Amino acid sequence: MPHESVHTVQSYEQELEQLRSLVNQMGGLVERQVAQAITAVVEHDEVAALDAPEMDPQVDELERETEALVIRLLALRAPMAGDLREVVVALKISGDLERIGDCAASIARRAMRNELLSCPISLTGLHSMGRLVQENLRRTIDAMDQRDPELARLVWHSDTAVDELYVSLFRELVTYMMEDPRNIGPCAHLLFIAKNLERIGDHATNISERVYYAVTGNILPIVRPRGKTFD
Amino acid sequence: MNKPIMDDTTGHDTGTLALAIRNLDFWYGSNHALKDISLDFPARQVTGMIGPSGCGKSTLLRILNRMYDLYPGQRATGEVLFDGRNILSPSLDVNVLRSRIGMVFQKPTPFPMSIYDNIAFGVRLHERLSRTDMDQRVEGVLRRVALWNEVKDRLGASAAALSGGQQQRLCIARTIATRPEIILLDEPTSALDPISTARIEELLDELKQEFSIAIVTHNLQQAARCADRVAFFYMGELVEVDTADKMFTAPHAKRTQDYITGRFG
Repeated sequence: MPHESVHTVQSYEQELEQLRSLVNQMGGLVERQVAQAITAVVEHDEVAALDAPEMDPQVDELERETEALVIRLLALRAPMAGDLREVVVALKISGDLERIGDCAASIARRAMRNELLSCPISLTGLHSMGRLVQENLRRTIDAMDQRDPELARLVWHSDTAVDELYVSLFRELVTYMMEDPRNIGPCAHLLFIAKNLERIGDHATNISERVYYAVTGNILPIVRPRGKTFD
Repeated sequence: MNKPIMDDTTGHDTGTLALAIRNLDFWYGSNHALKDISLDFPARQVTGMIGPSGCGKSTLLRILNRMYDLYPGQRATGEVLFDGRNILSPSLDVNVLRSRIGMVFQKPTPFPMSIYDNIAFGVRLHERLSRTDMDQRVEGVLRRVALWNEVKDRLGASAAALSGGQQQRLCIARTIATRPEIILLDEPTSALDPISTARIEELLDELKQEFSIAIVTHNLQQAARCADRVAFFYMGELVEVDTADKMFTAPHAKRTQDYITGRFG
């Protein structure tokens, strides 16, 4: 998230730059993890299925580095105003990114299970949901990189569609399970995958909320417009 | 000229006012040092004034108790309203004004006399107290600034023998001994070590129960710690005033943001 003006103290500016770079690296890795996880499920791609969980330690390491840098910046630089918001938000965002990575790894680990490989159930719904989540995550990371509060607010709103897809997918899978108990195995896995995608969407909205706050100093309303629920 | 961003427009309740500045302009000769300043000082709150050197914040503080009278070629227009009067009015008795609006300076300025007399001196100018009453006044203010236990056995000793932090607390005791309504502090801790600084800051927190305080500081962390409201000055203009919380997390003006984050070239 580059600023228009720079610090008088150059090493401070460099540390903030380093923080931005760490979070962006994390964002890039996690985006790839999610892409691989979805490919693994939808295309039964074994390489992708192994790849996504393997990136996890790298993401965790970047999260730890971000935490350490944030603590150092707070202690030694006592950041104020926009810098303070950016530093605190970087810490929160790295947490959300790490959780997204976990969700992606969890999806990928289920992808090559026999129940799913021989599964007669159409993956179209899951595929659309995956694409949408991926798109939202990409735009969230763009908003973060470009310090664009409007884009952040747009992504924040568009998670509604993910929620709706999740609810309809849930109903579809429950119907399959009721039709034939042999569907219960694969459908249970698909439900977990869908739930993980929905969680990724939620973390992406958390990130966009934080980007919006870091850039504008204003907080988006607590209640986000939501899609259909299970009532 | 840009209009300053005032928190009055964001709906904060500033309560009763100790002092109000309205459309104040100030010149040193041809130097227009303060430009159309309007600023409220809420009663029993700490108002912090920040800004780069030469921005006018110390000048403003010096106007509030007419210290600027001492500068040649100065001229002030506008109003500084205190207790229903414009303190810029030439007919005002500055000695009475200065007993009601006290000032503490950057470097401790004890008088070259005993600890006791440092406090009694100012009181004697305005009040005739019996020996017992004076003793009580001196003890009271020394307790107030947490200096009593450190000096009670040597009240007759020279104030010059005290440490810097003790001297500054003595100066604050001296200021509150005349029972002012407002205390002005011009970088009161810039010559002190961190522990003495913390004690002064703690003291300000306590004194604001009773007095209204205006503090000029270059130390932004100090403004953040001590002030309820913070005013940012730049080149003689009041750029923005808001609660300390808002000023240090999400200021409105870009100039404020650049200054407090250290981005001024």
